[in-house]
Amino acid sequence: MAIKKRGTGLTAVADAWQLADIDVSASFPIRPYTAIMAELAKRIANGTMKCEMVHGEGEHAQFSIAHGASMAGARATTGSSGVGVTYAFETYSPIAGGRCPIQAIVGDRTLDPPGDFGSEHTDCLTLRDNGWIYGWAQDAQESLDNSLMYFRIGEDPEVMLPQIVAMDGYFVTHIAQDYEMPAQEQVDKYLPKFNPQFRLDTKNPVIMGPQIEPEMGPPLEWDRHVVMTKVKEKIVQATEEFAQVFGRTYAPFVEEYMTDDADMVFVLQGAHAVTCRSAIKYLREAGYKVGMCRIRWFRPFPDDALQEILTKFKVAGVIDTGTSYGAPCAGGVLSTEVKAAMSEILNKPIIQSFTSGLGGETITHDEFFAMAEMMQETLKAGKLIQSGTWVNFNDYHEGASQINAAKNEAAPSK
Amino acid sequence: MAKVYKQVPFAAIVPSPQTENEGMITGNWRFLRPVVDKEQCTECKTCYIYCPDACVNYSKDEGISFNLKYCKGCGVCSNVCPVGAVSRVPELDFDD
Repeated sequence: MAIKKRGTGLTAVADAWQLADIDVSASFPIRPYTAIMAELAKRIANGTMKCEMVHGEGEHAQFSIAHGASMAGARATTGSSGVGVTYAFETYSPIAGGRCPIQAIVGDRTLDPPGDFGSEHTDCLTLRDNGWIYGWAQDAQESLDNSLMYFRIGEDPEVMLPQIVAMDGYFVTHIAQDYEMPAQEQVDKYLPKFNPQFRLDTKNPVIMGPQIEPEMGPPLEWDRHVVMTKVKEKIVQATEEFAQVFGRTYAPFVEEYMTDDADMVFVLQGAHAVTCRSAIKYLREAGYKVGMCRIRWFRPFPDDALQEILTKFKVAGVIDTGTSYGAPCAGGVLSTEVKAAMSEILNKPIIQSFTSGLGGETITHDEFFAMAEMMQETLKAGKLIQSGTWVNFNDYHEGASQINAAKNEAAPSK
Repeated sequence: MAKVYKQVPFAAIVPSPQTENEGMITGNWRFLRPVVDKEQCTECKTCYIYCPDACVNYSKDEGISFNLKYCKGCGVCSNVCPVGAVSRVPELDFDD
């Protein structure tokens, strides 16, 4: 029977891993990821979970251990945060290219320096070109549900790709919230046992990841490209079946909120959607026809879904909760991708980028209001006033000049 | 004409070779040859386990020997030997 619980995104994923009966988990501490390894260790010690936990001497080792375990046929997991994610960078492409469907959890953390530990999507976004499939969860429940869906999609014999259950550090990983832990029977019904076609086996030895000739590389990379299209079909299927088995319905790619008559939308991913929804309620009362589109998958990028949805609006404000210094159009990664997806579409909205929620900052109601105000001005002008806006830094709405003046006064060292 | 690529199995996973690959002889990369001192060797087989290219052979009669056709001379065997029985000798000191 499903149990109502109160916990964090990390305990929720620990629940998912317990229900998925993982075989191996490779660990190395870094905030905010650490809490899940502590949770797993506790459960293994208590006997509620049967899983081999291997402690790496760093994230590179950690991901390599999970890679090896997966090659041996284990359902293996690992995870990290911030600079830990990037320390393991070398391992991501080999794991995906070797088609080892391990699951990693990433509790976002900013990249140093300085040693900030707040949430920011940059760490996980840097992995976008490596062939992993991933997206952001907005709360504990969705983290748990994503974990189960990702196992199902990643381990599909037609897919075989590693997955990242990404979530905002602290907002999702550490704030206690109510969620439901599904029953074992439901999970058993939804998630088949991991049964790879190839595994390391002394009775039937194979080589995984051999040296190849140059003419063999491109076909393998073509396979990895083609499978991403397949993943999109599997996402639709897995999300539908999830609703049937567990009774929780998700939009496969893009969740829409109050978009029916909207002229402008916020486009974002992750936990800031929770604040965004409540800000929209106030904005609606104040007469702004604004809605929200929350992207549930980042790789594969939901371009088809976005192309269909975003053409309904006149202005789309993409909120970049991460940085890509010197990127086109002065935005971050998400806005660049959204713009690329929409570039050839007729009747596309004016797309502008807002960089906000960096370094673990909450995007407050006031900041959403300021963004709405700036989108309204874009709407009135019928063209981009400023392509990339860093909220609280180079805002251009009425009142921004006062904010900037106050800020300059507060920082006399300049 | 369309370029023809080589056929590659899923994720390039192939059965382990059972025979030596004549197309990829790597012994000529070596400039330091591993030489085992049979007097010192305790036949613990640590080098056999560590050799990254499976170039250490063992038999009861012969003890430890090296497959010099493929040994690249990396020296792992010499480094892991607990009794220091494997030395690395410059190739130019040998006639072959």
